[in-house]
Amino acid sequence: MNAHQPLFGLSRRDFVKLSATGVAGVSLSGWMNVLASRAAEAGTKHKSCILLWMDGGPSQKDTFDMKPGTKNAGDFNPIKTAVPGIEISENFPKFAELTKEATIIRSMSTAEGAHGRARYYMHTGYKEGIGGLVYPSLGALASAEIGDPQNPVPNFVSIGARSFGSGFLGPKYQPLVVNDAAKGVENLKPLVGDTEFENRLDLLKEMEDAFYHDFQAGSSHAHQTTYDRAVTLMKSKEAKAFDLSLEKAETRDAYGKTKFGDGCLLARRLVETGVSFVEVNLGQWDTHQNNFEKVKELSGIVDPAMSALTKDLKQHGLLDSTLVIWMGEFGRTPAINTRAPKPGRDHFPRAWTSILIGGGIKSGQVIGATDKEGAAVTDKPVSALDFMASVCQLLGISYTKQNNAPNGRPIRIVDKGATPIKELF
Amino acid sequence: MLVQPYLIRFAVGTAALAAMALLVGFDPAIAGDKKPDAKQKTAKAVPAVPAKVQQSKEKVAVVKPSTEGKQLGYLELANLIDKAIDTRLQAEKVIPSERADDSEFLRRVYLDIVGHIPTAEQAAAFIDNKDANKRAKLVEELLASPDYGRHMADMWKSLLLPRNSDNRALQTDPMTKWLEEGFNSDKPWNKIVHEVLTATGEQDKDGAVTYYVANATVDKITDNVTKVFLGVQLQCAQCHNHPFTDWKQTEYWGMAAFFMKVQSTPPQMAARNGSSPEVKETNQPRRGRNGLPDSAKQVPPKFLGGDEPKVKASDPLRPVVADWITSAKNPYFAKAMVNRIWAQFMGRGLVNPVDDMQDGNPPSHPELLADLAEQFANGNNFDVKYVIKAICNSQAYQRSSKPNSQNADAAGELYARMAIKVLTPEQFFDSLRVAVSNGKAPLDPPTVTGPRGLKFSPRTQFVQFFEAEDGSDPTDYQNGIPQALRLMNSPQLNNGQAAQVMIRGKSKEQAVEQLFLTAVSRRPKVKELEMVDKLMKKEDAPKVYADLLWALLNSSEFTLNH
Repeated sequence: MNAHQPLFGLSRRDFVKLSATGVAGVSLSGWMNVLASRAAEAGTKHKSCILLWMDGGPSQKDTFDMKPGTKNAGDFNPIKTAVPGIEISENFPKFAELTKEATIIRSMSTAEGAHGRARYYMHTGYKEGIGGLVYPSLGALASAEIGDPQNPVPNFVSIGARSFGSGFLGPKYQPLVVNDAAKGVENLKPLVGDTEFENRLDLLKEMEDAFYHDFQAGSSHAHQTTYDRAVTLMKSKEAKAFDLSLEKAETRDAYGKTKFGDGCLLARRLVETGVSFVEVNLGQWDTHQNNFEKVKELSGIVDPAMSALTKDLKQHGLLDSTLVIWMGEFGRTPAINTRAPKPGRDHFPRAWTSILIGGGIKSGQVIGATDKEGAAVTDKPVSALDFMASVCQLLGISYTKQNNAPNGRPIRIVDKGATPIKELF
Repeated sequence: MLVQPYLIRFAVGTAALAAMALLVGFDPAIAGDKKPDAKQKTAKAVPAVPAKVQQSKEKVAVVKPSTEGKQLGYLELANLIDKAIDTRLQAEKVIPSERADDSEFLRRVYLDIVGHIPTAEQAAAFIDNKDANKRAKLVEELLASPDYGRHMADMWKSLLLPRNSDNRALQTDPMTKWLEEGFNSDKPWNKIVHEVLTATGEQDKDGAVTYYVANATVDKITDNVTKVFLGVQLQCAQCHNHPFTDWKQTEYWGMAAFFMKVQSTPPQMAARNGSSPEVKETNQPRRGRNGLPDSAKQVPPKFLGGDEPKVKASDPLRPVVADWITSAKNPYFAKAMVNRIWAQFMGRGLVNPVDDMQDGNPPSHPELLADLAEQFANGNNFDVKYVIKAICNSQAYQRSSKPNSQNADAAGELYARMAIKVLTPEQFFDSLRVAVSNGKAPLDPPTVTGPRGLKFSPRTQFVQFFEAEDGSDPTDYQNGIPQALRLMNSPQLNNGQAAQVMIRGKSKEQAVEQLFLTAVSRRPKVKELEMVDKLMKKEDAPKVYADLLWALLNSSEFTLNH
């Protein structure tokens, strides 16, 4: 590759084009054209993943593993769903209609009960600090293994929280962090007019060329590349994916018009442009106190968003190629604590629930089971490694492949001892 | 020409990687009598390794310092540095780059010693100064500045206090302040480390206890002590005999045994109670909640690669290991520190990476490393500034970063030209602040009270946004698209006002000069003046100056320490 290429590759005409089409005014049909042409180019089905990260550890007994009639069943009742035999909390009426597209795993069993370490573990499949390495997050792995390097949008986008980074895979696979989906990517628009911005880029290019000529530094090349990518993103059609105002009001309403709902909508738009991995964060699930009010509130946020997302993906023909994951870092105790005036549940990694939707899974089923109170897994325990390996396999990532860490040590994408869940395939 | 930049970068970054790969893929005998396991086979597909590394497969004999028993002044040590570097350059037939010009040297030494660039006035004054000794005098002046201690504290805080989920509630300022005072008051390094290792009490009263609060379990503290103070990566040996070196599991737990009696308040608990976290060493090793991993072994305390000291079960153990670590006779301590100081200034350690000192990763200049360690420990009482003065006064340090026609591809370990380092987020923030305010604003911006009543500093927020991974190579560029977007398009860095203030009352030539001196500490070249003239035909002068400042602050030249 010629490292001495002109910076940014932007001509004056490119910039005029950008400002003419502007950010507004791209209709849905415009998107379909983009999609169609890409599909024609690619030929093969390109997989994506949307991780709905429930930060804090959602209570499984009050959401998707109901234990009616038992001692600590809690405040909510189960309701029937579209799949006979599968019941979930009454706080998910919309999602209840869509269980044919989902698989509910009720036998997650991991040993980590501390937030920080459990979050790290569920994102990377490795325990924090082991071997002195920083391990890449699932999003970074997806970006590196199945991401289209030509994509002007980074292939790992994290909405609402920083998530975990690329670790030893390096800066190219770091997530693009979008704090607020409604605001989109920050600093995407220049603060000066287009012509002046182009003049600035010209000045910068001259300086960069001269510096590179004198110093021939790899870091200078990396700096230029990063700026190149940033400017490419600024001027790309794909960057419009970050503009939620281009969606119909009804669509945004369907997702629930919450921060999380907006995040899910943005995730769908990003997947449409070919982004490999989008993580959308919803926090406050750590309900040591006031479990029931809070879970009801959060369920009310998740239900429309997750349902609209599923339906939307299906409508756009993307459900089979997009794996949606709903999960947190662990579950919550079967027992209810009454320490505080409003009762709560504490951390519980021994038996908890995650959900997979789309992505070509065998859906409309429950995998695994817990005992009467939900205190232990009675059938098909699923470890974090089993889960990661399954997700990798669904996305077309070889989970046994090894990457080289900076210290020379080969590191498997998923650590030894993982068995993909055969019921998913 | 096309592939060169990659070679330069990779030569610096992967020498150690290649060395490791050599051990794993090419010669199982290195790992002693251990059977090669399946992992080693897969590492075969690695880049070729220079012949020099292959020779080091035998046990490396301990190198005796040529200056043993002598006490060298810093200028003498500087000469010794140059002799060692030049000897190898000649042996490899590599011609070093020429001396850095005043601008190059000025900006580099400011960043390396005080962590930020000079103001335009300081830059002009230095460049125009006709004193033949001005470089040496500048080094002295910068070492005497309080910003020196501040910069060292920033770096050492990052090394000593790991950024992980357990430490999110941890107050790190007490440690930073404590370190800053130590460095600025010329406290000898062995004293600093001894005090850190034996720190006791509340964080309010002794900032050094933060070390134990941040490394709250036995395995964490053992990992950090051995890595940071001894330059040895022991973590793998926590669970099994180290695959690449001779460290056995018992060596790891022998060192860990010295820390079994330490107790510290978890930061979240202290934050909740509104109290100051406390560290103490009790009479008995803690059980259960000491955070011992499954791999823990109970062995008597034993010095790494050394003896088992005679200790009574009820004696405090930290002073024993602290005495051993900080002794001039310790085989790792002085070497590890001079190697780190060397890496701070030269962009790579004589042993690289700096925290991986072992037989399979030999120093590029073994006698030099031995002499630096000898003069640091025995000759000059662990005086950090002494080592810095020696390095900064050497020709090797004052070499340009620009390659000549012959040495562009030379391996980094030859020091044919000065390595190009990337500004750390702290250096970057401080330098932006100096540039945009022309040195008028204090380096530490006032703290802001956030939404939950938490105080935070804009500097901390900026640093976190630009932070690279722990332990990354100083020559590796780490910024991603969000960072680039912020630098290009955020209001703080698009401050047209700043440009206007800088150039007020100046002619066009003076204005352009002022902007260059401010951002990159040099005067503009003819081509650059022509570039500005061209732009003046398209835009009004105020816009031109704002654009020029924008380009300068977003340039590689600003972001890199060359």
